[in-house]
Amino acid sequence: MKARSVRLREAHKSSGSASYCSILWDLDGRHLVTASASDTSVSIHDVSQPSKPAKALHDHRAGVTALAFSANSSSLATGSIDHSVKLYSFPDGEFQSNVTRFTLPIRSLAFNKSGSLLAAAGDDDGIKLIATLDSSISKVLKGHKGSVTGLAFDPTNEFLASVDAFGTVIYWELSSGIAVHTLKAIAPNCDAENSLLNVLSWSPDGETLAVPGLRNDVVMYDRDTAEKLFTLKGDHERPVCFLSWSPNGKYIATSGLDKQVLIWDVDLRQDIERQKFDDRICCLSWKPNGNALAVIDVMGKFGIWEPAVPSCMKSPTDGALSLQAKNANGLLLFDEDDEKPSTSGSLDDAIEESHGESMPLSRKRLRKQSVYDDNSNEDSDGEDGLMRQIESRKRSSMKHQEGVRGSKEDYVSSSKWAKSKMQEAFQPGSTPAQTGKRRFLAYNMLGSITTIENEGYSHIEVDFHDTGRGPRVPSMTDYFGFTMASLNENGSVFANPCKGEKNMSTLMYRPFSSWANNSEWSMRLEGEEVKAVALGTGWVAAVTSFNFLRIFTEGGLQRHILCLNGPVVTAAGFNNLLAVVTHASGCLPSGGQMLEVKVFDISEGTQPVGCHLPLTPCSYLTWFGFSEEGQLSAYDSKGVLRVFSNQHGGSWLPVFSASKARKSEDENYWMVGLNASKLFCIICKAPESFPSVMPKPVLTLLSLSFPLASSDLGADDLENEFMMSNLHLSQIQKKIEEFSAAGLDTSELDDDAFNTEAAIDRCILRLIASCCNSDKLVRATELVKLLSLEKSVKGAIKLVAALKLPMLAERFNSILEERLLKESKGTSLTTNGTITNHTSLLRASPAPEITKVVETTSTSSSATMPQSHFSRHEKIEKANNMVGGMEPCKNPEGENAKIVFNQMKSYQPINPFAKKPNNQEKVEEKRRRDMETCKDASIRNPKEGVNQAPSIVASRGISNDGSNQKQSHGPVNPFAKASSNHEKSSLLDSIKKMKADHADEKVNNKKQKKKQEFK
Amino acid sequence: MAGQSNPDLSVFSAPEVEFLAEDEMVEIVPNIRMEALNMICGDYGPFFPQIASKVPLWLAVALKKRGKCTIRTPEWMSVERLTQVLEAERESPREFQPLPFHYVEISRLLFDHAHDDIPDLYMARSLIEDIRDVRFHKVETGLETISGRTHAVKLKNLSAMEVNIVRPFMVRALQAFYKHDSPHLIQQPRAMGSRQPQVVDRGPRRDLRPR
Repeated sequence: MKARSVRLREAHKSSGSASYCSILWDLDGRHLVTASASDTSVSIHDVSQPSKPAKALHDHRAGVTALAFSANSSSLATGSIDHSVKLYSFPDGEFQSNVTRFTLPIRSLAFNKSGSLLAAAGDDDGIKLIATLDSSISKVLKGHKGSVTGLAFDPTNEFLASVDAFGTVIYWELSSGIAVHTLKAIAPNCDAENSLLNVLSWSPDGETLAVPGLRNDVVMYDRDTAEKLFTLKGDHERPVCFLSWSPNGKYIATSGLDKQVLIWDVDLRQDIERQKFDDRICCLSWKPNGNALAVIDVMGKFGIWEPAVPSCMKSPTDGALSLQAKNANGLLLFDEDDEKPSTSGSLDDAIEESHGESMPLSRKRLRKQSVYDDNSNEDSDGEDGLMRQIESRKRSSMKHQEGVRGSKEDYVSSSKWAKSKMQEAFQPGSTPAQTGKRRFLAYNMLGSITTIENEGYSHIEVDFHDTGRGPRVPSMTDYFGFTMASLNENGSVFANPCKGEKNMSTLMYRPFSSWANNSEWSMRLEGEEVKAVALGTGWVAAVTSFNFLRIFTEGGLQRHILCLNGPVVTAAGFNNLLAVVTHASGCLPSGGQMLEVKVFDISEGTQPVGCHLPLTPCSYLTWFGFSEEGQLSAYDSKGVLRVFSNQHGGSWLPVFSASKARKSEDENYWMVGLNASKLFCIICKAPESFPSVMPKPVLTLLSLSFPLASSDLGADDLENEFMMSNLHLSQIQKKIEEFSAAGLDTSELDDDAFNTEAAIDRCILRLIASCCNSDKLVRATELVKLLSLEKSVKGAIKLVAALKLPMLAERFNSILEERLLKESKGTSLTTNGTITNHTSLLRASPAPEITKVVETTSTSSSATMPQSHFSRHEKIEKANNMVGGMEPCKNPEGENAKIVFNQMKSYQPINPFAKKPNNQEKVEEKRRRDMETCKDASIRNPKEGVNQAPSIVASRGISNDGSNQKQSHGPVNPFAKASSNHEKSSLLDSIKKMKADHADEKVNNKKQKKKQEFK
Repeated sequence: MAGQSNPDLSVFSAPEVEFLAEDEMVEIVPNIRMEALNMICGDYGPFFPQIASKVPLWLAVALKKRGKCTIRTPEWMSVERLTQVLEAERESPREFQPLPFHYVEISRLLFDHAHDDIPDLYMARSLIEDIRDVRFHKVETGLETISGRTHAVKLKNLSAMEVNIVRPFMVRALQAFYKHDSPHLIQQPRAMGSRQPQVVDRGPRRDLRPR
């Protein structure tokens, strides 16, 4: 347990026998004052210059038994066996006055909080209260039977507590001088020994009085009632002989006759630290502004125990200032009281000083403390100290895990260097090492790799969740001590950190099945250390301490070595994609980390994504990987899941927030994976933040949801669904693009896209309904514009009509019209090309008549072109007419229609697409005339005009069939829109109606079927 | 009551009660991937490894036998919960604690088929046996108190097995009461068979024999 003992040096020559010594810190922690009952001198030690000889005050003629500082440490009182109490100024040590004289030796001295009163007592009968101003005795308190060995003023200046050698404690009321409570024989009887003095001490807040108890414990008594509150009982084997409260009252240091000093956390009533000494420590003193405890033993040797409280815990000075301010009650006589150095700064110093030699001690402690950490309400200071210490050292993975574990506590406190720590590399899905317990090296949706350490070697097991499908992998004995692993369906990769000269960092790959024997391989890295591993189809990647990204093939061929920009955080693989997270720069002053992610396509040798990885402020990355669909995702310690999306030029979207999803406070989500709509995690009951291997953890599914602001609409679910489906749609569309670029079949994805669109429309319609219900009409019209299918717009109009909102219905109608108009214009242009194709196709096969006609005109294609253009244009015109013509009938006002018309007119010339048909119209007309003249001129076939029309219809039929097939292509495909336009415009096309209807019906049927399927 | 092996006594045999209990839903954690199972009673699944899903007990047992899943112990079967229930049962001699209607059967089936999935198997088993004994004893003592002046017997939270044990006694006892109550029936003892008198005397009997 004990790694370092406090070095003691001699302050006072002992006479060979035990004598009572005392020690005190001054206020600013620069000097220590020591005295011994066997030495006449009082020594003032300069702490910063230990080599400098101590200043000695030689005014007493016998041993000094008592020391006391006024609250601002401007005056020092000393009491001696020579019956006198002397006052010195401090720090210069000038003798000022003999305050008082007793008839018997002084045993105890105490200043009150304000420094106006000094209490002195000893073997004499009665406690003298002396006014420091004029050294006049204001009161003598008589009541103790034996010599008074301990005195303590209550911080609020109301009571004085005293204890005598028989163990009797008396509470004196200062204003009246009456003994309010007398507690007989509650402290050990120490009358027999001279070097042993009973003591007692008020807590800095004045609420409790600590007195050594009879059962080797410390008993706390209530301030007002003097009732026993609780005891601190622990490892003292013999009675406690001295105790001292930490400046903030959180800790208490006790020294026992068993020669050990214990530090207790008073709130937890638990001893947190101990130190054993060669001799009995007879006096203790907390440094007023640092985590240090000065001790002196009965042989006159003193030392500083620093840090006394483990640095991972709250500093003993933290909060002391506020306590003092609170207790001051305006009674401060000394202005200097306010000028206390800031606690945090001094703590920093303390840690800096202590850092080298005390490391092992504090770390050992930490392991024990981590248990308390969870339930004690700690401030972050101690933790930060730890961080800084750890940061400044090279750590082994063991220590690292503790660091992470420690930092898992969420601190609200805005400490200056909270979390200003760049996180270490980790493997997604691994859990920290626990001694004697199996832990996960890797856990993903596929399976897990677990390890347990036995003497000198580890035992590694690979399990697949799906026992029916996954290969059986024999367990492995690991002599390397692997700490990193990754797993996919083809194999597993392991790596261990460098452990000195002989244990080089090793990377090992084990395929689960191979046609060749002995296909597992390993690589040794000299001087370099593997920090993270990942694997995908046909490749293995390792990121090393040199910031190298080493890529190997499945067979072990060293394929690429790339340099990364910073120290690695983690890596993940998916098929041929490798994502590596690195630190982009040091931490921000606010404590946030700057992370950067790069995605490499191993097979292509490209880098599709390279961007920053966002994190919630003051959090760190806890999981990183790909979703089942291959979307890059990251999960941070604040429970926010982000997914990379190509929307907005490539950005991260927060799709899950644990704080919103959490049902109860004591749930921690340990991320495993995600798919398009669900997140898979293991729920751990707090304080556990990661699962254990046994019992086998069970995955829990949670729905993804955007962290939406709470809207006045009250339809958060719908809004979330809307955004989520839009995200899916964008993902599908990106895939379609990729596939079509690669020349692959996209029909399945097209179906998906169509279904998603339909789902979005349904969601929008429901949103419109809720908008209408809560009277958000503007929002409703915005939503209508987002509908992708024309049918849904009509549905929206119906819906609004049913909700009796005629105004909105009108607006929707005009939106629909605009939309139709745009579409028709768009398609009139786009279909041009296609129709020529079709006609040329047509021309090749059936009608010789057409070719004949064609011959008569100038060029073959242009002959049919104008006609088709004409018919199309005619349709559009008719449709326009219909819109324009029917509108006034529908519309009682008529004005609306006019406006629409005007808009249309003004719209046409602006639209570059609209212009072309206009021009073409002219050309067409010319050609038509030409044709007519041709017709007139050539009397070959009177039927040709009629014949042409069906042929065009046929061509349209084909194009419709084409659009039937490609209906599902979604918005990418112009055909889809063209077909819907056909539906509309052909309604009034009387000549072609009969034949076209058939084709349109097909389209309609197909559409309806699809809709029904998903309704 | 078509499935009863002994319709005269209106009593189920233990396997019959167990059969009925097999329709209760339990949570399983499959260790395989499996498409949805379309059963007459409903569709279950699809199943994903390590993701819990709810299925009827019979299906859970069938899958467990094939080593395809682990059964999650229901919440009421945890040792602490059972300890609480046992204490409460012992403390209140007149009341029964709310437990699943088929607790005896479910626990029996789980102990038989999924013993490796139950933490503290022996503890849980003995606790359930204790609870059962306490409750059966309560039922017996409760029935002993029935006398001529008893107008009604209220037995809340009684489980299937307990009802089954009480049933023949109650039925017989009530039949006896009717017999002695109605003077018409005195000359017609059991000679008429069990069905005939039911038809004859349906009026008053219905009130007293709620099913």
